[in-house]
Amino acid sequence: MATHQAAAAPPRQVGTGALARLDRLGLLLVALAAGGLASLPFLTFKANRIAAGAGKTLADTLGTAVAAAFLAVLALVAAVALLDRRPRVRLAAALLGVGAMALAVGFGAGWLTPPGDRFARVAPGGGAWLLLLALALLATDALARLGLSPLLRMAALAGAAAVTVLAFRSGLFDQLSVMREYASRADVFGREARQHLLLAGGSVAAAILIGAPLGALCALSPRIRGAVLPVLNVVQTIPSIALFGLLMGPLAWLGRTQPWAAELGIRGIGAAPALLALTLYALLPVAANTALGLGRVPATAVDAAAGMGMTRRQILARIEIPLALPVILAGVRVVLVQNIGLATIAALIGGGGLGTFVFQGVGQTAIDLVLLGAAPTVAMAFVAAVLLDAVVDALGRRPA
Amino acid sequence: MIELENLTKRYGDVDVVSDVSMQIQPGSFTVVVGQSGSGKSTLLRMVNRLVEPTAGRVLIDGRDVASLPGPTLRRGIGYAIQGHGLFPHRTVAQNIATVPTLLGWPKAKIRARVAELLEALQLDPGQFAAKYPDELSGGEQQRVGVARALAAGPNILLMDEPFGALDPIIRVKAQDDVKAIQRRFETTILLVTHDMEEAFHLGDAIAVMSGGKLQQYGSPEDLLLRPANDYVSRLIGSSDRALRALSLKTARDAAESGDTDGLFPIAPDANLRDALAELIWRGADAAAVSGEAGTPPRRLSLRRILALGRGA
Amino acid sequence: MSTMALAPRVVALVLLLAFLLAPQFFAPVFAPLTHNGAPPIYTQASLLDLAIAHLELVALATVGSAVVAIALGVLVTRRAGAEFLPLSRAIVNIGQTFPPVAVLAVAAPLVGFGQAPTLIALFVYGLLPIFENTLSGLQQVSAAVVESAKGAGMGGLQRLVKIELPLAAPQILEGVRLSTVIAIGTATIGSTVAAKGLGEVIIAGLLSDNTAFILQGGLVVGVMAVLIYDAMTALERIVLRRRGVRR
Repeated sequence: MATHQAAAAPPRQVGTGALARLDRLGLLLVALAAGGLASLPFLTFKANRIAAGAGKTLADTLGTAVAAAFLAVLALVAAVALLDRRPRVRLAAALLGVGAMALAVGFGAGWLTPPGDRFARVAPGGGAWLLLLALALLATDALARLGLSPLLRMAALAGAAAVTVLAFRSGLFDQLSVMREYASRADVFGREARQHLLLAGGSVAAAILIGAPLGALCALSPRIRGAVLPVLNVVQTIPSIALFGLLMGPLAWLGRTQPWAAELGIRGIGAAPALLALTLYALLPVAANTALGLGRVPATAVDAAAGMGMTRRQILARIEIPLALPVILAGVRVVLVQNIGLATIAALIGGGGLGTFVFQGVGQTAIDLVLLGAAPTVAMAFVAAVLLDAVVDALGRRPA
Repeated sequence: MIELENLTKRYGDVDVVSDVSMQIQPGSFTVVVGQSGSGKSTLLRMVNRLVEPTAGRVLIDGRDVASLPGPTLRRGIGYAIQGHGLFPHRTVAQNIATVPTLLGWPKAKIRARVAELLEALQLDPGQFAAKYPDELSGGEQQRVGVARALAAGPNILLMDEPFGALDPIIRVKAQDDVKAIQRRFETTILLVTHDMEEAFHLGDAIAVMSGGKLQQYGSPEDLLLRPANDYVSRLIGSSDRALRALSLKTARDAAESGDTDGLFPIAPDANLRDALAELIWRGADAAAVSGEAGTPPRRLSLRRILALGRGA
Repeated sequence: MSTMALAPRVVALVLLLAFLLAPQFFAPVFAPLTHNGAPPIYTQASLLDLAIAHLELVALATVGSAVVAIALGVLVTRRAGAEFLPLSRAIVNIGQTFPPVAVLAVAAPLVGFGQAPTLIALFVYGLLPIFENTLSGLQQVSAAVVESAKGAGMGGLQRLVKIELPLAAPQILEGVRLSTVIAIGTATIGSTVAAKGLGEVIIAGLLSDNTAFILQGGLVVGVMAVLIYDAMTALERIVLRRRGVRR
């Protein structure tokens, strides 16, 4: 009898132990994805752009057999998310899931669209979006835990970008409504995307050229600092659309009255006020971080450099700027991401950029068109953030 | 030779350094002692013109330092400071190569010089050259700081509290290293410290500063036996001055010829304070000091030490 | 705050209130900015009503994001929530790459036009600064202080409420202030999806090429943002000084 009791105890412990051993983040993500797939449509089908959408489940979309195979793959991913804590394995599982989902969405859209139908619109439904969110979070968590070196992170980003571009090039997603919107605007899209990059990149470049020397002056003199930083602070509180608008007047006047300005393409509407407004927004973080970074350079290092016979210029170029660079670049990173987002507003004043599609989409209540503008904007900001983070890390790794 | 002539530095109405004149002999180890705010660092920084004097001048080998551009002057003078001031974004080798690079030495010469200095400071070049300062211990950082200051082979080395950030055990070792380096390269060292112990340990000559004024400048014995004023004697302290005096003499100088049979040996370089401690500890009356090559050992007795410690 | 610093703020507040209550009084100031006889003052809706609606939206969203973000920040810094820390950091980082316009534009078709999508965008966007500051504020509480609280026999909840949150409060509140200012500005974009607020005035100016409208909308929003930020800073100082957290 005693032995029986002793044998009875362990299974209960194993039972609670197994439940406790489940990864709680995995549990949350699996619940999110499973709940989404069970209660929300995987794809939505509209007979035309303005018709009401009809939700399609996985089985509706893929057929029972393929849907079962897809679910089997997802079950494998879920098992890893719940049971395996090695970041590498979790990342691989997440990528497997994303790949399977891309195929399911791509082919599903193709199968749902009647052959030759150019009006039907198929878009990912709530279930697909939640599944994508769960997989993205799983991958993000794994990447965060892996703690890749800056170089590896850049390589991973390049790899992911290449695979994404290839997937879109292959025509896998051509039947999705976003790509339908893209197909009818392919030439304009390229132009607006370039314009968007030009607005964001140009304004940040200008902000560095002006803001870095300004920040250096602030680091040198508390009086200049007290005068400059509060003004830039106030500029940041002016709402973006107002700042864009306010610059239209003066620039229009400049364009009308000054021939050189007109030649440069300075007009009241268009890229000029947008570029100027974005530059103004970017000034504060660049200047403030430059001042902060230079202020943090150890005084002993500067003293030693002077004591060994470096000239003022050599101290700046060889000691102060290299040591302040990670902090300055952290400011540039903030500004670049912020301006890629803000550049969407340029479309409101005729400045072009991907915001054009966003506001057209808002006007037509066409979410696919909104996505055509918004998704690449987010992608650009994401790439910029990862790249600059990696550069800041690579530089910051040296000095403690 | 470094000559300071009536050097004065005034900030606003305050004379931080007031009319200081002194001559520093070539190849000497001169220590400027003073409490914080005594003007000792300002005095040092006027030698390489990190601070421009309000009045007076500095001559190095008869030449007014004001006749050279500041950076050019400083490239010819070594400079090491408290907390080492190493450049955190450069490797040990790059740090040491700073002045040779500024002077445009060829790469091979720089590399050889870096290796030579690292070895002189007991840092294995293969192990340390490529490291960054934050990967070193405090003592190692300090040694690299000294190596960097010596990189271009300056005749003069200025040191501002170079051992201030080290803990006591490492500090003594670092002091001995610098003293050995000074003998090996025959560098003229001018060192600033607030620590009288350090001044006695290192200095051939000691300058005491207070309130911007030079209170006394002389040999350690001078300060100990003939303090110029109350301030100096208070700074030196009276409780262990006999031991201080003993610490300035070596066993070699004090030993006498005599019977050394069965006596324990003591190194000729040991100072009398250490020798006395050793005798007390062993309960012995005398020790044997080994002689120069070929000469017999000589005798150092307790009585002799006590006689030498009698100051007044 | 010294009277020197206070005086311009009082003047700004008085001018702001005067403008909102009796905008026509200021018509001569804005008239030079109009042409072809366009109206110098926005009259389609009461500026005061718009300002109140604007602030209501901001207040609702910011309170919401503060509650959620602080709760999340506390959660992931407890031992039980530590598993979620790397992910939540990464989300904060990535979340900032979503432009507010994109959040707004994607939300609008899903939840309908008007206040709702704006509220969602402001809420989501407001989470990030508060969460980030809560996290760093709580993590900066010195381990020695927490240890001694443990040693004094405080339980986990007591430690959080009596030690950790008060010590992290300056940073957390800085995050709330930042979120508020961002929300005041971002809410103007809400007018592109027909939310009621001061953005309406600016958009009307953009559409009818009336600089006077753009300027008055922008000024009111900018001045409100600066005043509210300063007021929150002053309030925080008073409260925290009384508690002895900040000298």
